[in-house]
Amino acid sequence: MPVTLKIFIAALLINNIILMRFIGLCPYIGMTTDVKQSIGMGFAVTFVMVMASTVTWSLYYFVLVPLGLEFLQILIFILIIASLVQLVEFYLKKAAPALYMSMGIYLPLITTNCAILAVTFDNITGGYTFIQSIVYSVGVALGFLLAMLLLAGLRRRVRTSAIPAFLRGNPILFVLSSLIAVSFMGFAGLIK
Amino acid sequence: MSIILITLAVSVLLAFVLGLGLGFFREKFRVDRDPIIDRIREVLPGANCGACGYPGCDAYAEAVGLEETTPDRCTVGGSAVARSLADILGIVVSAEDKVAVLMCQGTRERAPEKGRYVGIRTCAAAKLSAGGTKLCAWGCYGFGDCERVCPFDAIHVGPDGIPHVDYDKCTGCGKCIAACPQKILSLIPRNRVGAIALCSNRNVIKAMVRKTCAVGCFKCEICVRNCPEKAIRMEDGLPVVDYALCTSCNTCVEKCPTNVFKLYERDVFPLGTAAGKAAPPAEKEPAEVT
Repeated sequence: MPVTLKIFIAALLINNIILMRFIGLCPYIGMTTDVKQSIGMGFAVTFVMVMASTVTWSLYYFVLVPLGLEFLQILIFILIIASLVQLVEFYLKKAAPALYMSMGIYLPLITTNCAILAVTFDNITGGYTFIQSIVYSVGVALGFLLAMLLLAGLRRRVRTSAIPAFLRGNPILFVLSSLIAVSFMGFAGLIK
Repeated sequence: MSIILITLAVSVLLAFVLGLGLGFFREKFRVDRDPIIDRIREVLPGANCGACGYPGCDAYAEAVGLEETTPDRCTVGGSAVARSLADILGIVVSAEDKVAVLMCQGTRERAPEKGRYVGIRTCAAAKLSAGGTKLCAWGCYGFGDCERVCPFDAIHVGPDGIPHVDYDKCTGCGKCIAACPQKILSLIPRNRVGAIALCSNRNVIKAMVRKTCAVGCFKCEICVRNCPEKAIRMEDGLPVVDYALCTSCNTCVEKCPTNVFKLYERDVFPLGTAAGKAAPPAEKEPAEVT
């Protein structure tokens, strides 16, 4: 199996960013009330994640490393991500106002979404090449989308079931998420 | 030294380029919106308190402009803002300014505590952990949850152990009402005229009310019988005044054995305004009832 495919599968299933690493739980809980919304959010995150990986990887290896400024990565990466989110916001407002409205506060929240920052750091600490880092970020983002979709689908059922009063609301969501996470543990050892 | 300069130069350059890029794209993807929204936003006070139910004044202006909601939801601006918004939209509103009023007179002396509460000093915690601190189950605990949520510094717990509203500052946003676990604050129009029953005790047993509070309503219904306009009726164990009928005749205020009734425009509202604070009216001692 080629290395890039391994990276993709690992990011998508084995080390799923939400279910295995518990990063980016805020939109995961907040944006899964509706399947359509969660797809929109998932693709917005995908877009920002891939863009952020591309830009931060190039910036790191072509600007920060030659100048010996690796310690600036947190600062610069956050700056890049914030600008990209603004860009996505402008674009969505123009191109897809309905999606923009349904995302509401969560689009600006991508700015501080730890999943995106985590991916940009993973690209550096994992020592990926440019192509690998893009594949990795696509894998992580699709894994994010997958987890969102799974929960959004389950929440449909939750809405119509009789849930004990002490579990209503977020508690049952976390119970559900933990069950999905346990089932994702089955993917461990999928690739060697 | 040079590393600091390089760091600075790189950061500044990057921020500058990103800023330029964003400015460019902002213009490129600019969405023209209804100019009426900008006019509405100019009228709104800009407190961003969220009392209207929207994240801020911008969001509310957009909702009003798109006619998704009514123009009378801004409690900070009150009726003046509601009217000017209605003018912009070309419609008519009937908004009235409201203020929060505490429906309880149970100060520390009048309504005794049932024991010494040493837990977390918030009303919500006292209610949850100890079931309240007062003998009266409906009374004010006076830990000031309302004071802490007030964005306008308009409500303060006094030395007597109950909150007092500053009606010069109160905008009627309703945050204190949501925060009060006893639900004994209510919104009352500023310009209301008539008698008001300042008690929330719904205990139907007279002896229990007498034991727990010196100014509690014990359902004698003297007010109901004596009201010349038949404007008072009992509802859920408390006297309720019909303001279409009330003439501020003062009968219920005089007859009530425990001084539950007050005339809103004379005894309650002036107390919370600057004029009322200068000269607080002399308070009548609660009459002894046997």
